Amino acid sequence: MKEKIEDKIFKLWIISSTIIVVTIIVFVLGYILRKGFGAIDLEFIFGNPKGIPLGVEGGIFPAIIGSLLLMILSCIFASILAISTAIYTVFYCSFRKVRDIIHLIIQCMAGVPSIVLGMFGYTLLILYLRINRSLLTAAITLGIMIFPYIEVRVEKILNEVNSSIINSSYALGISKFHTIIRLILPICKADIISAILLAGGFAMGATAPIILTGAVIFAPIPQSIFSPVMALPFHLYILTGEGISLQNAYGTAAVLIIILLLINILSLIIGRRKEHR
Amino acid sequence: MKKIENSIFKGIVRFLTLFSVLILSFIIVFILKESIVFFKEVYIIKFIFGRKWNPLGSADKLAIFPIILGTIYVSVIGIIIALPIGIGNAIVLSSYTDGKVKRVIRSIVDILAGIPSVIYGFIGLLVLVKFLEIKFEFPTGESVLAGGIVLSIMMLPFIISTCEESMEKVYAEYSGYSNALGVSKSYMIRKIVLPNSKRSILASIVLALGRGMGETMAVMMVIGNAPIMPKLLGKCQTIPSLIALEMGMAEVGSLHYHGLYASGFILMMILLIINIILYIIKRKLI
Repeated sequence: MKEKIEDKIFKLWIISSTIIVVTIIVFVLGYILRKGFGAIDLEFIFGNPKGIPLGVEGGIFPAIIGSLLLMILSCIFASILAISTAIYTVFYCSFRKVRDIIHLIIQCMAGVPSIVLGMFGYTLLILYLRINRSLLTAAITLGIMIFPYIEVRVEKILNEVNSSIINSSYALGISKFHTIIRLILPICKADIISAILLAGGFAMGATAPIILTGAVIFAPIPQSIFSPVMALPFHLYILTGEGISLQNAYGTAAVLIIILLLINILSLIIGRRKEHR
Repeated sequence: MKKIENSIFKGIVRFLTLFSVLILSFIIVFILKESIVFFKEVYIIKFIFGRKWNPLGSADKLAIFPIILGTIYVSVIGIIIALPIGIGNAIVLSSYTDGKVKRVIRSIVDILAGIPSVIYGFIGLLVLVKFLEIKFEFPTGESVLAGGIVLSIMMLPFIISTCEESMEKVYAEYSGYSNALGVSKSYMIRKIVLPNSKRSILASIVLALGRGMGETMAVMMVIGNAPIMPKLLGKCQTIPSLIALEMGMAEVGSLHYHGLYASGFILMMILLIINIILYIIKRKLI
């Protein structure tokens, strides 16, 4: 009897928890998209913010471009360093101690809250090095944030390459450089790009690091990496936080979610294609 | 020629690795350095356990005990809500589904993880806070509870994916035996899978706690940001939101500025302590 009741409670628990999770995601996406579509039109996507206070009317084009630029720059910055570090730890590092230290530091960094990174970027880049609040400073801060994320994944991908392929290549007398560039990287290309895209989506949605380091309430489309930049998540935060325009906030949120979903789907497709080969 | 190519590549890779490791260690040292200035002036125990945060006052008026409590409180509420839901979902994913259904639920969870925190804060503010205000007639919906609920949604993907991974392994290992013995699936999960997944459940709690305590935007938008002692239905302040709100206004080099660094430092220390506890628990359970 007791067993039967326990069984019922257990089943009720797991079924309801699954239903809750599915409901949450349907609600979140549905809410944003339904409310957001009302606000989105061509003018909203391709126009500049207008009105007083700024953002009441008009569009979010500079923010869309700003967010994409931030994502691209931070991805370039982070992935160059992260891929090198991963290659070094997997193929070149011959001391276990060194590898452990690198892993330890990366793990520590992965645990640092993003706002603390933002604070660091603000102090070092803007206060000490006297670079203006700009695309560059924000992208560097975001890059530092996604570095551990990319490094861990790329290292895992490199480790999963079939070691017999690598050993055969060495046995044929092919140098390490050629093995890595011509053999290993092409095998892993799709997975690495997929990982970088995911990290890029993560960087694009992050607000905390760029509040202090680069995002501004209004700026035109950046002319160089030293100009200030608008970003979608920050714009959304300002629109709601200051109570400027709920309508435009819904629109901004919807645009942000749609872009992120597209990035995620793209990353999935690229990562998936390799599986079939 | 080949040799040169080889060593150039090795050199570049080595240099870039060194560069990134140096940047990362530099960040940690930098934060330490900026906070030590503060701890020279304000006694660390007083900073942690004092009750008043008044950045414009004298040095002894800078203390973050309510803010630390707020940070922990919101995250713990988040965990309490998220844990049962997350574990339940992980059980379904690991033991009751396969093939297409599993992929669908998994990608739903992935989407949940990919939604930026500012969106959760936005929805929390517009839907949850309003809901609490209207339905339960709270004087203000911006509360620890609202922060906890929003955080719990953000923690779900971490809990689910961490638990699911190990549950799947345990399930695969024992399902053959238990089927052969004619034991019902739910009994087997309750008596074998759940107890054997204790460690990964603990790990997921710590992971989620770390995430929750470091979370800025979503929490900041729904908790009201008042540095008072936190109550479940009252406003509170967390360390990340404190930094985000006040860093831009703090005068460089002032006590306020270094105080913010110090609170960032305290936050990192709390996270470190939690991770060490996890490490010890993991060791003991083996």
